[in-house]
Amino acid sequence: MSFDQSHIRNFSIIAHIDHGKSTLADRILEMTETVSKREMKDQFLDSMDLERERGITIKLNAVTLKYHSKNGEDYLFNLIDTPGHVDFSYEVSRSLAACEGCLLVVDATQGVEAQTLANVYLAVDNNLEILPVINKVDLPSSMPDMVKQEIEERIGIPCDNANLVSAKTGEGVAKVLESIVKYIPAPKGDRNAPLQALIFDSFYDSYRGVIVLICIKNGTVKVGDTIRLMASGHEYLVTEVGIRTPKELKKDELYAGEVGYLAAQIKDIKDVFPGDTITLRDNPCEHALPGYRKMNPMVFCGLYPVDSKKFLDLKDALEKLSLNDASLVFEAETSQALGFGFRCGFLGLLHMDVVQERLEREYGLDLILTAPSVIYHVYLTKGDMIELDNPSKLPDLTLIKEIQEPYVKAEIMTPKEYVGPVMELCQDRRGVYIDLQYFDDTRMILTYELPLSEIVYNFFDKLKSFTKGYASFDYQYSGYKPGNLAKMDIMLNGEVIDALSTIVHRTTAYQRGSIVVRKLKEIIPRQQFEVPVQAAINGKVIARADIKAVRKDVLAKCYGGDISRKRKLLEKQKEGKKRMKAIGSVEVPQDAFMSVLSIDEDE
Amino acid sequence: MNKPRSLYIHIPFCSHICHYCDFVKLFYNNKFSEPCLKALFAEIDSYHIDKVDTIYIGGGTPTSLSDEEFTSLLDKVKDFLTPNGEFTVEANVENLTKEKLEIMKSRGVNRLSIGVESTNDGILKAIGRYHTYEEAVKVVKLAKQYISNINVDLIYGFPHQSEEDLRKDIKNILSLDVDHISIYSLIVSECTKFYKDGVKEQDQDESRKFYDIILKELRENGYERYEISNYARNGKYSRHNLVYWHNQEYYGVGLGASGYIAGARYTNTKSLKQYLEGNCVDIKETLSKDELLEEYLLCHFRLEKGFAKNDFKNRFDQEFTEVFRGKIDSLIERKLLIIGKENVRLSDDGMAIMDNVIVSLLG
Repeated sequence: MSFDQSHIRNFSIIAHIDHGKSTLADRILEMTETVSKREMKDQFLDSMDLERERGITIKLNAVTLKYHSKNGEDYLFNLIDTPGHVDFSYEVSRSLAACEGCLLVVDATQGVEAQTLANVYLAVDNNLEILPVINKVDLPSSMPDMVKQEIEERIGIPCDNANLVSAKTGEGVAKVLESIVKYIPAPKGDRNAPLQALIFDSFYDSYRGVIVLICIKNGTVKVGDTIRLMASGHEYLVTEVGIRTPKELKKDELYAGEVGYLAAQIKDIKDVFPGDTITLRDNPCEHALPGYRKMNPMVFCGLYPVDSKKFLDLKDALEKLSLNDASLVFEAETSQALGFGFRCGFLGLLHMDVVQERLEREYGLDLILTAPSVIYHVYLTKGDMIELDNPSKLPDLTLIKEIQEPYVKAEIMTPKEYVGPVMELCQDRRGVYIDLQYFDDTRMILTYELPLSEIVYNFFDKLKSFTKGYASFDYQYSGYKPGNLAKMDIMLNGEVIDALSTIVHRTTAYQRGSIVVRKLKEIIPRQQFEVPVQAAINGKVIARADIKAVRKDVLAKCYGGDISRKRKLLEKQKEGKKRMKAIGSVEVPQDAFMSVLSIDEDE
Repeated sequence: MNKPRSLYIHIPFCSHICHYCDFVKLFYNNKFSEPCLKALFAEIDSYHIDKVDTIYIGGGTPTSLSDEEFTSLLDKVKDFLTPNGEFTVEANVENLTKEKLEIMKSRGVNRLSIGVESTNDGILKAIGRYHTYEEAVKVVKLAKQYISNINVDLIYGFPHQSEEDLRKDIKNILSLDVDHISIYSLIVSECTKFYKDGVKEQDQDESRKFYDIILKELRENGYERYEISNYARNGKYSRHNLVYWHNQEYYGVGLGASGYIAGARYTNTKSLKQYLEGNCVDIKETLSKDELLEEYLLCHFRLEKGFAKNDFKNRFDQEFTEVFRGKIDSLIERKLLIIGKENVRLSDDGMAIMDNVIVSLLG
């Protein structure tokens, strides 16, 4: 399969969740001629099984398809998949940068939704040709004309050429394929120029090392070339190149305009950055492709096995996960309260949730996560600066000159009737107002500068609930600023529990302290003795609540000597206890460690 | 293997359904009661029972049976009892008639357990009992003319029940002048009217306050709390219930009954249809060593005396203090567990939070 650049189309699909992105992708895969419907399914499953066996992420990444157009000519389509959450917006932008166009799928019964917009803007930023596709027109409640108008008015994309489809029935999909040929521009790279290949994704393969998914912007790459990854400067010998249909198809070389994969015995996925440019050692390009950003983990937390005997299992699982997840970082740490565990870094909260879920589900681990923290810059009186990712390790106050915390610039799009509550939320989180603008007749864009620490915990959830799910939110790191910060310690039964320490802003410390101790009192079950819960700053107690001793816990009656039933009730109680961590003499449930970030009474 | 020395018989019929009752019960109707008794007799025959030291007929409401049915039931089992055996029948105030008492007396029933439950007529009505306190007083008086060894049941922890209400109940119950009193806190189980009505159990602080009042009052009036919910004077313990708490074996027959024979616990079917077809046993399990240990503790710790160290060692080949090394020190320090010369037992505080103590030993 070798095609002239003019017959290549590189595109992705943007859609709000449930608007039919994967159904449309499936339909496109079926209706292209590269493989028959039946074969395609088989191949797909084979590839998935293989992926499962090797324990790597199951996702489409990118797929190359052959399409026979009504104009009588054959085209090569490269459909590039994108993740869809604010934590991964950088990855989305890199995937889009590999394309010349995208399909914007909008549900004809729902219309444009807030969450679609962030991705549309990324597409516009990347100068993509956007083809509106109005889906689900087979449903009686569909309103294609209204949705067209909405797309034109709210996003500003002309809908004269909008495709009306039902991805479910296949109606109109053939026209979409023709539109792709007709409206999405062909890539314009120079095959003879020095190599510039954009990395948009990668995964680990235990036999071939890291498989790098690339889009060749200029030049050619072939087996035997020595390549250089421009951001890391590392050089490798190319052992394999090819395309995915979705089955891998080895090729001799990849040319400008093509999308495919490359293997070069790269051992560590952390050397391969999405957005980085690959060039040739012997004939390097002058400039890297624009838009590359090094992705640093923004959120850190401690991860501990509930059963301390499982430490090595956790280590093993983290190592395996990080083979395929360049953004996951971890190093061993010790907590007095929780024993041996790891300090882990994530791109954001969703990323943290995904990792936790995979560790628990795929590796059967029972975990305790400590409250997520950002990296603080702690300037010492001696002049040194410490990057602090674990609040309990904050040096003595007398040694500290200043603490700085990371800020983000956040853009929140919301229907205008919710602007008030959203501003209130931002103010509560120590946000600094920057801008407020109309997006269209009904929606506004609010710009705030916010401390990252204030959005890592449930900001997004709050935003959603304040706006009935309509607001969308995107943020960019904007630098460090000094803050009036202090470490808040939590004491259980008079002992400081290091895993419960957090960094708080002094102005809200009292309030936070009293909410947190009350929350802990609620979460920690009564023990055989009374347990005081105290919050303290610099050893000074600022809030206290007492967990009463258990007073009555016995099943009064056993009907007709039904001992089995009683034993089963006790089993349940035992199970509950197993999920708790004994800290000193106090049994603490897993979710207690998260609760130190509670900001509201009603959570 | 020795055969069990106790027999529990479950009569699943009631003339009314109480709002808190979570046991297997059906409205009394002779269309069902006759075949049910027939199936019960067949089940009893299937065990080839020789002699037992205790018989307990519970329910449901055994006295809801017709006099003829009731007579045939007692005739069926009375000869199993050894000469000094204990023969208990549960009765409700409303259908404990002179006739029933005569039938019982003549068939060797020597212990009665009467469901008084409350001495407050408002509460009695609210929980679906069809008697008044005054009627209860009369029935107890009547019953004493036939059978001297009487237990009355009392429940505490009803919604809106005040401490005053409780003290009045205690005073009234004491005035009945019976040898045995069982006092349970209200449990709201699923599948009860109370549960569906959203009735809440007392919180543990209130419940403990009430429990302590009961304990103090009854002790001061000459009753011994020999089990967590059971009080006796003149040594009139329930010998049958002690079989359960000493973790000993017993036959259990009747719809939904449970039993313990030859190291296996079983529970009968709750389906009348299955039962009538003779498919009595629904679940049967032989206990693992850990489960045996668990049951041993949860039975014996209900008793004021706990268990004898020797008995534990005989059953488990190890000293109690060995098995639970490292776990008992804090319990002793917190004055929940008492290791005596002969016996191991829980303190008053320990008994009140027994489940918690056991979990900390076994967890």
